[in-house]
This record gives sequence, C-alpha cells and structure tokens, in this order.
Amino acid sequence: MNKNQRFILKTLFSSLIRRRSRIAIALLGVAIGATVLLGMVTLCYDIPRQMGQEFRSYGANLLLMPANNQSTMPMTEVKKAVDLLPSDKVLGVTPFRYDSIRSNQQPYTIVGTQFDQVSKTSPYWKIEGELPKNPNEIMIGTDIAQFAKLSIGSTMPISGKSKENSRFDEELTITGIVKTGRAEDNFIFIDLNDLETLLEERNQAEVVEISIMATQDELQRYIQTIKEHSNTVEPHLIKWVTQSEASVLGKLSSLLYLVTLVVLILTMICVATTMMTVVMERRKEIGLKKAIGATNKSIAKEFLAEGLILGIIGGVIGVICGLIFAQVISANVFGRSIVVEFYLIPTTIVISAVVTIIACLIPVKRALEVEPALVLRGE
Amino acid sequence: MFRRMLLSVLVRQKKKLFLIALTVALGVSLATAMLNVMFDVGDKVNQELKAYGANLNIVPKGAALVNELYQLDDKQDAIQYIKQDDLVKIKMIFWAYNIVDFAPYLTTQVMVNGKPVTLVGTWFNKHLTIPTGDEVDTGMLAMKSWWSIEGNTMKDDNLQGVMVGEAIAKQLNLKLGDSIELTSSTQKITLTVNNIFHSGGVEDNELYVSLPVAQNLANKVGLVERVEVSALTTPENDLARKAAQDPNSLSRTEWDTWYCTAYISSIAYQLEELMPDVRVKAIMQVAESEGSILQKTQLLMLLLTILSLICSALAISNLVTANVIERSTEIGLLKALGATNTSVAMLILTEILIIALLGGIVGYFIGLGFAQIIGQTVFGSFVEPKMIIVPLVLIMVSLITLLGSMPALRIMMFLRPTDVLHGR
Repeated sequence: MNKNQRFILKTLFSSLIRRRSRIAIALLGVAIGATVLLGMVTLCYDIPRQMGQEFRSYGANLLLMPANNQSTMPMTEVKKAVDLLPSDKVLGVTPFRYDSIRSNQQPYTIVGTQFDQVSKTSPYWKIEGELPKNPNEIMIGTDIAQFAKLSIGSTMPISGKSKENSRFDEELTITGIVKTGRAEDNFIFIDLNDLETLLEERNQAEVVEISIMATQDELQRYIQTIKEHSNTVEPHLIKWVTQSEASVLGKLSSLLYLVTLVVLILTMICVATTMMTVVMERRKEIGLKKAIGATNKSIAKEFLAEGLILGIIGGVIGVICGLIFAQVISANVFGRSIVVEFYLIPTTIVISAVVTIIACLIPVKRALEVEPALVLRGE
Repeated sequence: MFRRMLLSVLVRQKKKLFLIALTVALGVSLATAMLNVMFDVGDKVNQELKAYGANLNIVPKGAALVNELYQLDDKQDAIQYIKQDDLVKIKMIFWAYNIVDFAPYLTTQVMVNGKPVTLVGTWFNKHLTIPTGDEVDTGMLAMKSWWSIEGNTMKDDNLQGVMVGEAIAKQLNLKLGDSIELTSSTQKITLTVNNIFHSGGVEDNELYVSLPVAQNLANKVGLVERVEVSALTTPENDLARKAAQDPNSLSRTEWDTWYCTAYISSIAYQLEELMPDVRVKAIMQVAESEGSILQKTQLLMLLLTILSLICSALAISNLVTANVIERSTEIGLLKALGATNTSVAMLILTEILIIALLGGIVGYFIGLGFAQIIGQTVFGSFVEPKMIIVPLVLIMVSLITLLGSMPALRIMMFLRPTDVLHGR
C-alpha cells in the first residue's frame, strides 16, 4: 500500500468518524430509500399472488364432468385427473351427485357431496347451524326450509328408488340450513357416502368442482393435460370466475405497480437531495484539498468511496427494515407471511449504493469546477 | 430587521432552500397521491368487481319452489311472473344510484329442427326513461363481461336477430347470418343468427333474443320471469348480518343506519318494499367475496399510504436537519453578534416553514397529477380530489418541518460561537 492510498483511507475514515451527525443523516436517508425499495418491490411481487388466493373465495374455477355422454364418472378416474394438478395449489376438490327423491309426496333434488371439501371450494355458502357429520343428517336449502316450514333439528322423511330399483325410505335430521341465492337454496344436501349407500352404488360423481390457485392460462394448460391423459373425465373452465378474476386482478396489480413506481421515484429523489445537501456543505473542504494539490480525480475517488460505504451500510439497514415492512403489511392484510425473492436483497443494496454515489458526485463535480480560491473565500 | 434577514436568506440561499422545497414537494405529492387513491380505491375496485355480474336476483314470490315442486308445465298460468312495467322501480329506490345494471329474463322452450331448445328473452342494452326524469341504459351485455361474443353487438330493437350459444351452434351447425326456424306451442318464426357466444356455463346451450320476441313466443306479453341486478354495495358487517336474518329485530337507530347504508341486505329490502310480490335474493357467491376483496384492498392501500407517509416525513425532516447543521457557521456568527437562541430559532423556523409551505403547495398539485395518472391508467376513470386531504397535508407539512428542525435546533442551542467561527 503506497502513501497516497493510505492518505485516502485515512481521510475517508476520519471523514466518516468525525462528522457523526451528518453521516447519521445520510445513512438514515439511504436506509429509508432502501427500505421503501425492498419493501414495495417485495409486496409488488407477492401481492398479486396473495390476492389471487383471496379471489378463491369466489369458489371453484375448474369443473370435471363425465366424458362421452356418461351420466357419472368413477371417483378413481377423478383422482387420477386431480393428481395431474400441482397438489400445493389445489385448495379443494368437491364431488357432487344429484338425484330426485320425494318427501311427503313432494319432489326434491337431493345432492350428495363431501362437506369438508364444500367449505373449501365454496366458502361463500351461508350456513346456519352445522354441517352434517353423522349418517342420516342433512342440510337443506333456505327455500325448502321456508316452504316446508322446517327448521334445524326437525326431521324430514324421504323416499326414493336406488339404481338397483329397490325402494328406500329414511328419516333424516336437519342440522343446517344453507343460503346462497342460487339453485342451492332448493336442494337437500347429504354426505356423498350416505347417498351412495341409499342408491346402492359406489364411488361415482356427476360433477366435480375444483378450486385451484392458477391464472387463466395455467388453467388452460391443466385442462389440456387432463384431456390428454383421461378419456373418462372432461375438464371445463368456469369462465365466469376465471375471466372476471383475471380482469380484476390485472387492475389491482397494475395499481400496485404504479403506486410502487411513484413511491420509488419520489423516495430516490429524496435520498439524492439529502445526500446532495450533506455533500454541498463540504465545498470548502474540496477547495482546500485542491489548493494543497489534490487532483480532481483523487477527490472524486474519495467521495465515491464514501458514497459506496454509506450506500452499502444504508442499504443493509434498509433491507432489514424493508423485510419487516413487507412482513407487517402482508401479515396485517392477508394474515400470511410474505414470500421474499432473495435476489432482491443484493439488488437493493447495489441500487442504493449507485443512487448514493450519483447523488454524492453531482455536487462534488460542481464544486470541482470552481476555483479553489473562490471556494475558500466563501463565495 | 427580522424581515430583512428572512428575505435575504430566502433570496441568497436559493439553491439550498430549493432542495428543501423540492423534497417537501415530493413528499407532499406522494402523500397527496396516496391519500387520494386510498380514499377512492374502494369505489373504483367495487366498480371493477362488477365484472362478476349480478349480485341480486329478483324472483316472483313463491315462484322459487312452485315450479320445481309441482313440475307444472308451461301452458298453465299458475306460475307467477313479474310485470315488466314494474322494472323501472328498480331505479327508484333510495340507493338507485348504486344500481349499476339490471336485466330481466324470460325463459321458454321452443323447438328447433324437432329438438327442444331453451330460449331466453332479455334486454341487451335497453334505453329506459325513469319516471323521476332520469335516463339509463341497462341490460345483459354489460353484466356478462366474461362472455366472448362473435358478431356485431346485439340491439334491443333487432327483433329478427338471435344470439346463439356455442354448444347449440355446433349442434345445429349454425354460422353468423344463418336463418333459424323456431316453433313454440302457438307460433312459428324465423330469426337470423346475429351472434355466437361462449360463456363457459349453461348459457352455451341456450338462445338469447330480445325480450318482446320471447314474450310473444311464450304468450306472456308484458311479463318477465326474473331480474338480475348488479349493485354497488358496502361490505357486510355485524349489523348487516343481524338485519339479514330479520330486519324487525333491529332497534330504531340501528334500523335507520342499516336502511341508509348500501348493504346488500338493505338494497334487497328496499327493492322488496317497492316492487309488489317479489323476493330479492342476494347471490352470496358474488356478494360475500366482493366484500372480502374490497376490505383487503382498502386495508392494503391504507397501510401502504401510512408507510409512505412515514417515509416521506422522515425524508423531509432528515433534509431539514441536514440543512440547519450545514448553516452552523452562519448561526455561530449570528450568536456572536448577540442574537438570542430564541430569535435564531424563530428565524430558522419561519424560513423553513415558508419554504416548506411553498414546496407543499407545488407538491399538492403534482400529487393530484400522480393520482390522476394512476386513476386513468389503472381504472380508466377520474380520481376525485377530496377536500379533506388539503388540511391533512397542511398539518403534515407543518408538523414534519417543525419536528424535523428539532434535533437541528437542539444542536444549535449548544453551539459555541467561537468554536464555529474558528471552523471546528
């Protein structure tokens, strides 16, 4: 290490140590910039996905139906098709089975399903009382409840014909009343296994609703894969849900991108102005250095090094704060922790270093253009 | 003296003060933009969520079950209908302006080439004059944004045209412009295929025609079967849930609050009040999800706004501190000349407040501009500037600059004139 380098290091070091309050201000500025940068970009990256999960409250977006004009499909085939989907993205798979029965001589539609899955694929169902848990328990639609004057706890006799053509008569207990505003209001819901026991048939489904976290394009791909691998099951896109989701989610993400962009530009300028003020103050110092023979290049180098150190330290502080910032927002809004893209961390540090260096060099360059004598005289 | 010094500082130190003004302007514009967008985002997203279509279903009282339970055939008149003349009342309720769109439907069975097909009559984009003097355009097309439709837009006065579902078009081998012969129990008419549409639902197996055509075929002139309504609503809360079970269980004040808030249940209630013999059912799938998404978005924007306000506050106060520290020589000189701490503090504060306010005014307008850019690019509509933001921003700027000067002023108090002038 030659003398010159040692001198630069020494001036650098003492400039950082001696001017503590100024350095604290500069560091704070850079750290704020880096916090906003990392926090906002992380959110921007993750929120469309988080929101996508919220949109699943609209219910199923994929439907499986029996192919080749069959009325039912075996559940084993359904399972094979579902296995083709990425299991971490599937929120729920609900099979449905419809049949007509009579109760007190009036015809009703009875629907067999799996109740634990219904609450996942159709979270919007308004259920009074409880979901049926035991055999011989049912849930009825609100229109039936009103029409037949039935309430929770009362029993309902049903009779029908099984697929083997034998008759069945059962007395079922109502545990819940469901309200959706659609056709479900006129249905009787029973556990799929119980219905199949009555129908004397095993593991068949008429319709299977799937709620899966995916964009419309991904769904189209899944549909293609299922079509290629299965000839008993036909997948359908529920366009009503997917198309609207795509359009609303698109709007929300672009809102977030724009907000992020505006916030980033503004904070970066703020960081730059702070740095400029801190450096501008040192015109005299620059003048003095020039007067005792420092070249423009060596002064620029020194400020560059200072900016780099400030940028990196500020960047690291900002990264930590930014991660907390993103976590707090995500935990408050969605109640889930955020997924951090790790390459963003070094990127943030590099960007904050670059912004700091640029902000340092602008006033330095202007100070260098001035005659040392003028600066020292205080003009 | 005070005024002269103030003026000369403002004039001489233009460059440094300009940086403060710039930072304040940027901070304020950020705050203004975020606050404006935040206050408006609920309405805007609500409007976007209308892409999911209707959230209310109006059916005749009793019809919900009668049809299914007794399996009446269509010839009998026992099934109830809604009078077409009653439909304008939808736009006359207390929350009329929250009704975005509505469309009536009348379903009937017709035979095409000897096969039974479901035919639905509706309004596509009907121009209505409401007795209150308002004029509205409403209909199905606006509510079914997810349909992909081939061919020219269907008009309500197009009594010869028909929109054909994709599945049925394939089955009957129909193309745009083809003729199609429909036979009902009483009549026979020929229509031209105006559109072929894909909906992804049961509608793909149906034919859609203008309402009068279906009414003629079904022999139900002036009647409709059900109405879909798309309304802007406030997310449900406990009060709304209580009311949804039984509006009569509410206390007087609760009832007033409920009635005068655009909950889906109160809109449904008002529609039932005004239209005789109907039941209004909230479509839970749309209503419930809408509320949760709306709340999430608003909360997200609120948190982002608060955080960006904190950030801009920190940035501004940081810069003010830097500026005051930088002027220690000047302050030392003033003190050496006999100025008291109070008078120096007054001078600096006034100066910075003036600059901050100037910057704040500029920043407010820049912020309005940003809010408009966001509104236009994202939602394609105007973000209404809210007056409440002006005092909010004003207080924010004054507080931040005052607080930001605090550490600097404290440093100044302990400044020894000789030290500073000596250059230490």
